[in-house]
Amino acid sequence: MKQKQKEMLVTVAFTLLSLSLFLLLWSILSINNPDFLPSPLTCIKKFQAMLGRPISKVSLGGHILASLKRVLLAVLCATIIGIPLGLAMGWSKKINAFVSPIFEFLRPIPPIAWIPLVILWFGVGEFSKVFLVTLGAYVPILMNTITGVKMVPPVLLNVGKIYKASSVQILKEIVLPAALPAIFAGLKTAVSCGWMVVLAAEMMASKSGVGFLITRGMEAYDVAMIIVGMCIIGVVGYLISICLSFLERRLCPWKTNLE
Amino acid sequence: MAEEIKKLSSIEVENRNKKKEFRNLFFIALAGLVCFFGIWELIVRLGLIELRYLNPPSMVVSTFFRKLVDPTPEGSTIPQHFWASFRLALCGFIIAVIIGIPLGWIMGYYKTANRLIRPLFEIMRPIPPIAWIPISILWLGIGYKAKAFIIFVSAFVPCVINAYTGMTMTSQTLIDVSKTCGASKWQVFKTVCIPSSLPMVFTSLKISLGNAWSALVAAEMLAATRGLGYMIQQGRNFVRSDIIICGMLVIGISGALMSAGLSFIEKKATPWRTQK
Repeated sequence: MKQKQKEMLVTVAFTLLSLSLFLLLWSILSINNPDFLPSPLTCIKKFQAMLGRPISKVSLGGHILASLKRVLLAVLCATIIGIPLGLAMGWSKKINAFVSPIFEFLRPIPPIAWIPLVILWFGVGEFSKVFLVTLGAYVPILMNTITGVKMVPPVLLNVGKIYKASSVQILKEIVLPAALPAIFAGLKTAVSCGWMVVLAAEMMASKSGVGFLITRGMEAYDVAMIIVGMCIIGVVGYLISICLSFLERRLCPWKTNLE
Repeated sequence: MAEEIKKLSSIEVENRNKKKEFRNLFFIALAGLVCFFGIWELIVRLGLIELRYLNPPSMVVSTFFRKLVDPTPEGSTIPQHFWASFRLALCGFIIAVIIGIPLGWIMGYYKTANRLIRPLFEIMRPIPPIAWIPISILWLGIGYKAKAFIIFVSAFVPCVINAYTGMTMTSQTLIDVSKTCGASKWQVFKTVCIPSSLPMVFTSLKISLGNAWSALVAAEMLAATRGLGYMIQQGRNFVRSDIIICGMLVIGISGALMSAGLSFIEKKATPWRTQK
């Protein structure tokens, strides 16, 4: 026990050491050229200023919420499309054979490459952003649902059949719960993927959102604003992944037994 | 004797059934593709969607062949665009691999190095590569360097993390065996730990290549004078959906080919895994 405590202490000490070295190096580098690389202190001051004053009529919290709203809406759409389609594709070989070539044809195109076409189709409004993020988010959900359904142990299916369960019952009572951990893993990937796509979409054309913040910083030649924006993006992304892991443990507690 | 014949024939029947099923599924897959392209072609030809919003597949193909040699309207042919993007991707990617993977190995092997460097990675990890685009454009301009830097960032973090994980997952038994046989620390590192981490490293390479490719497209859309991302962005400015779709397909197909190439190298580099 004491050994463990000592280990912890060493790790914490080294973490602090490395972080302070990093900040020190950053400060030294910023002395010569504060416009090119503002010091950490300047960034903190910038952050406080951004908290107080709205940027292009939207407060900082408003920007974060705008991006989050787009991602959540898109993930919701992707779930509504992806899970039923994935269940059907995993369940029936024929449906899989019909849909998967089209899917495989479209899949390697990164969602970001859809941006020009989507803007051409739907303009630069809210709809095209949600559409783009949906394009990025449905792939992991669909893929993981298919894998989850295919990996349901045959024993479980046979038990269901022996007890004369109907197809709907088997699907609802056996396949869906058994595939849930895989589906949830897909959902996690979808959210982090969506968080990236929303950034790109907001950087191309937008008036709000965290992606807009950093492009605004670029246009205004305000490096401190970009750094603050990047930190916000990182922190929000990290918080999202923590929340999802927590939800995962709540929703499918049987998953921990598998690993 | 008779039973044996019966068994044989039942296996044969099963094989035949499997073949039949495979053939059926193949035709269904073909029908799916034909439906997809047919509907796409038809809705444009029948005028349900205007030509400038969506071009039929036949015209996209003909645009592709024309663009192979014709630089109009945006100034470069497809091979030139592709080469500009590919060179950048390769350059940033190779630097990331050369620095990132040994760093990950060292972090996995020496605890002190890990304790010092890891916190910095944990800070950088949640920031998506695309978020690096504005700052790298400000720092390095819109040329070659900024884009190579973005590729580097998007490939570097997964390389380090996976090389580290692969290293720490080395079976202790293997290390103990080699130590018992009198291997030095360097020999253990070189002949046991590095090969056993290779599968993880290749996984990370595939992930980071995909990330890097899409980050590059984003960077080229924001600021570039050549490259596949620039091509589709210009296609939007000229309202030429055939160029956009053509560019999207080139991006998708070349990304898939690169990842297939990496899988091929993986098979050659880790031959002991194929025995599974």
